[in-house]
Amino acid sequence: MQPDLNRLKIGEEELERLSGLEINDVFMDDVCRPSIVHSSKKLFSFFLTQFFWFGLVCIFVLPTGFIIAQNFINLSKNIFTILKITLVISVIIVLAWNFYTWVKGKQITSLANLLDEVDKYNETVEAVDVLNRLTAVGSTDVNLVEREKVIEVLSVTRDSLVSALMVERILRQHKGLISRRHQLLTHIENNLSTLTGLEVNRQASEYGQLVNDALSIGISVQQEMQNLQS
Amino acid sequence: MWHFTVLIVLLRDRERFLREIRQGVKIKNKIAALLISSAIFLAIYGAIIGAYQSWLQVLASAVKLPALYLITLVICFPTLYFFNVLFGSVQSLEQQFALLLTAVSITSVLLFSFAPVTIFFLATINSYQWFLLLNVTIFAITGFIGIYFLYQAMKPVLIPTINVTDGERDADAAADEVNSVTDPDSDSKKVRTKILQFWLGLYAFVGSQLGWTLRPFFGAPGQPFELFREREGNFYLAVVKAIGHILF
Repeated sequence: MQPDLNRLKIGEEELERLSGLEINDVFMDDVCRPSIVHSSKKLFSFFLTQFFWFGLVCIFVLPTGFIIAQNFINLSKNIFTILKITLVISVIIVLAWNFYTWVKGKQITSLANLLDEVDKYNETVEAVDVLNRLTAVGSTDVNLVEREKVIEVLSVTRDSLVSALMVERILRQHKGLISRRHQLLTHIENNLSTLTGLEVNRQASEYGQLVNDALSIGISVQQEMQNLQS
Repeated sequence: MWHFTVLIVLLRDRERFLREIRQGVKIKNKIAALLISSAIFLAIYGAIIGAYQSWLQVLASAVKLPALYLITLVICFPTLYFFNVLFGSVQSLEQQFALLLTAVSITSVLLFSFAPVTIFFLATINSYQWFLLLNVTIFAITGFIGIYFLYQAMKPVLIPTINVTDGERDADAAADEVNSVTDPDSDSKKVRTKILQFWLGLYAFVGSQLGWTLRPFFGAPGQPFELFREREGNFYLAVVKAIGHILF
C-alpha cells in the first residue's frame, strides 16, 4: 500500500486508543459487534468463541461441583443427576454472561455504528489502493488529479471519524456536558460541508464512486453524532 | 482462531508479549486467548492419558487436566496478588493474572508437544506403572519449565526499571545493579521476590493436592471407570509407591 494511503487507514491500535476499549473484528471489549451478522466468517468466529467459553466454564464448574457433592452424597449413585446439575449451572453462567454483555452492548451502540463506518472507510482506502495498482499496470485509465481529490476526501472523512470516536468516548465515560464535545461536533459538521463542497466528477469515474462512499460515511458519522446529542 | 494467534505470539516473541502485558495492551484479549488455548491443549493431553483405560476416562481426563491447572491457578492467584499489592506492586489484577497464565500456557503447549511421545508409549507398552511414571516425569519437566518462564516473566515486574529490549545487558546482572545502586525501594522488591518464590511452592502444593483429589487421570486397566476415587493418602506417597512397584 502506498504511504499516503497507509497513513489514512485507521488501525486497531488507533481505534483502541480512541475508544479506550479493546477492539477486533468480532468484539468491542467483551461485547459482540452487531455487524458480525453480515459476515459468515465473523459469525463463525463468534460462535466458536462462545463454544470455547462454554467448554471453559464446564472445566471449572464440573470438577468443582463433583468435589463439593462428594462431601454430601454417594457420588456413584447420583452421578448423572450431579452431571445434569453442573451442566445446567454452566449453561446458566454462559447465558448470564451473554445477557450482561448484551446489556453492556446497548450502552455502546453508537460506538458499534462508528466502528462499522470505520470498517467501510478502511475498505474504501483499500479500494483506492487497488485502483492505484491497476493504474500502475495500465489496466485502467484513471485521472491522477481525481486521485488527489479522493485522498483529500478520505483525509477529511478520517478526521470526522476520529473526532466522532473521541466524542463518543467522552460522552460514554463522563455522560455529562463537556465543553470539548461541542467543539468536536462543530468540527465534524464543518468536515461534512467540506466533503460535499469538494469538486470531483462523482458520477463518471471509479474514484467518483469512492468519493460517494466517503461522503456517505461522513453523513452517517454526522447522524450518529446527532443521535448522541439527543 | 485468534486465540491461537495470541499464543503463537507468546511463543515466538515472549519479550514483546510480556512488555505488552506490562504496558496493559489488549490484556483482556490475551487472558481470553491464553485461557482458551491452554484449556484446549491440556484437554487434548488429558484425553490422551485417559485413553489408557476407556472412552469415559478420555472424556473425564479431558475435563480434569485443564481443571487441575486452571483451578489451581484461580485458587492461588489471590494470595500472590494481594501480597504483591501489599508490598508495593503497581501491576493490575488483570496484568498479574495474564502473567501467570503465560506460564500455564507454556506448560500446556509443552505437554501438547509431548503428545506424540505419550501416544507412542501408550500404543507400545503394557505397564500401567510405567505409563504413570512416564507421565509424572513429563508433567514434572513441563511444570518446571512453565514455572521457570513464570519466574523470568515476573522478574521485570519486580524490577521494572530494567530495559528488556537491551540485548547486550544480562538481565540478572542489571537487576542486581538496579537493586543495589539506583532503586530506593529495593527492600520491597526483594520481599516480592520472596513472595513469588513462596507462591510457586504454594502453587505446586495446592496443585498436587488438587490433582490427588481429582484422580484418576489415567484409570487403572481392568478396573471399572471411576469418576473420582475415595479420598486417601497423598500425591507424594503415590509417586514413591509407583517407583517401588517398578524397582521391586
